[in-house]
Amino acid sequence: MSVAEIAGITLILGGAILSFVAAWGLVDFPSALARMHAATKSASLGLALVALGAGLAAESATLFGIGVLVTVFMFLTAPISGHMLGRAAYDAGQVSGLVHDDLASRPSRPLSFETSRNRVSLLRMLPLVVIWVLLWRDSSAGVWIGGIAVALAIELIRGIRSRPTLVRPGAFVVFLAQYVWKVVLSNLRVAWEVITPHNDQITEAIIAVPMRTPSVPAALLVANAISYTPGTLTIELTADPLVLYVHVLHFESVDAVRREVADLEDLVLAALGEPLAV
Amino acid sequence: MAAFVTGIQVMLGLAALVAMVRAVQGPNLVDRIVALDVVLILLAGGLAVQAARSGSELFVSAVIVVALVAFAGTVIVARFIEWRDTP
Repeated sequence: MSVAEIAGITLILGGAILSFVAAWGLVDFPSALARMHAATKSASLGLALVALGAGLAAESATLFGIGVLVTVFMFLTAPISGHMLGRAAYDAGQVSGLVHDDLASRPSRPLSFETSRNRVSLLRMLPLVVIWVLLWRDSSAGVWIGGIAVALAIELIRGIRSRPTLVRPGAFVVFLAQYVWKVVLSNLRVAWEVITPHNDQITEAIIAVPMRTPSVPAALLVANAISYTPGTLTIELTADPLVLYVHVLHFESVDAVRREVADLEDLVLAALGEPLAV
Repeated sequence: MAAFVTGIQVMLGLAALVAMVRAVQGPNLVDRIVALDVVLILLAGGLAVQAARSGSELFVSAVIVVALVAFAGTVIVARFIEWRDTP
């Protein structure tokens, strides 16, 4: 067996165990939001590990590429569906047992985007076209033209005005490394609570965390990053001022939650090269 | 490799059965949709290892399609819950 095969099999096994624990958490955890922490996120990470491992074990570049795509896709979508479902559950009055709830007195309006239809950004279109061609696994002229047509259509339809955000490569790698470590640790912690019979440590709360940066892309990246780690989930993001409402599974104190988010915000701001204040 | 993949698929299948318990029990729509989201993600995992075993490109596409359906389905139900409860 080659090194790649052994690494692949290890990843698949780890991902499958994590997926199983996630499913068990659905039965074990006491409330809908707690189960969302335990299940959706751990299962997403489990799928990412299995898909990456499958590419390595089969020693197939195509399959590994799809694994990377699935991993990125899971990071982008799991927080969004978690956030939307969490907010829907809260607004429908299906969230109870909170020891602290800042969302009950939510004063400001939810974040919304300025929309316009007049600007097409080639920088935004490029990744879409590349993903399109990768998915077809065929780089003939027709596929490229099709990809450009689809990307152009998306640009014209959605009309969200945002300037492309530049990334500092060095700081971004630091952010990714620390973030992956944090995700692994919190997954293991939640997995441990699922396996052990008592869930005594679960204390749910919703905390308002004011963002220090006025930058919307940075706030969105922080909101997404928070939501992908089990134990914290962004329920709502309000504009003017930018405030994150974070649902936590292990509430200790308001300051502890705010400090955790602030640490992540620092990493994100360094990676995006955004200033702290206007 | 073949036996290993089968073992993984059995494990993911058992996990999906456990998740279905929550989907049947509920008690709310939110509980059910979280459980079904997990079932679809587990299915995508099973398809990914099948792709590694067979080397067939069909399974690779299926992984992406199932993951997309899981996401779109969850988002649509979340929207439905929000609209239903808004008079």
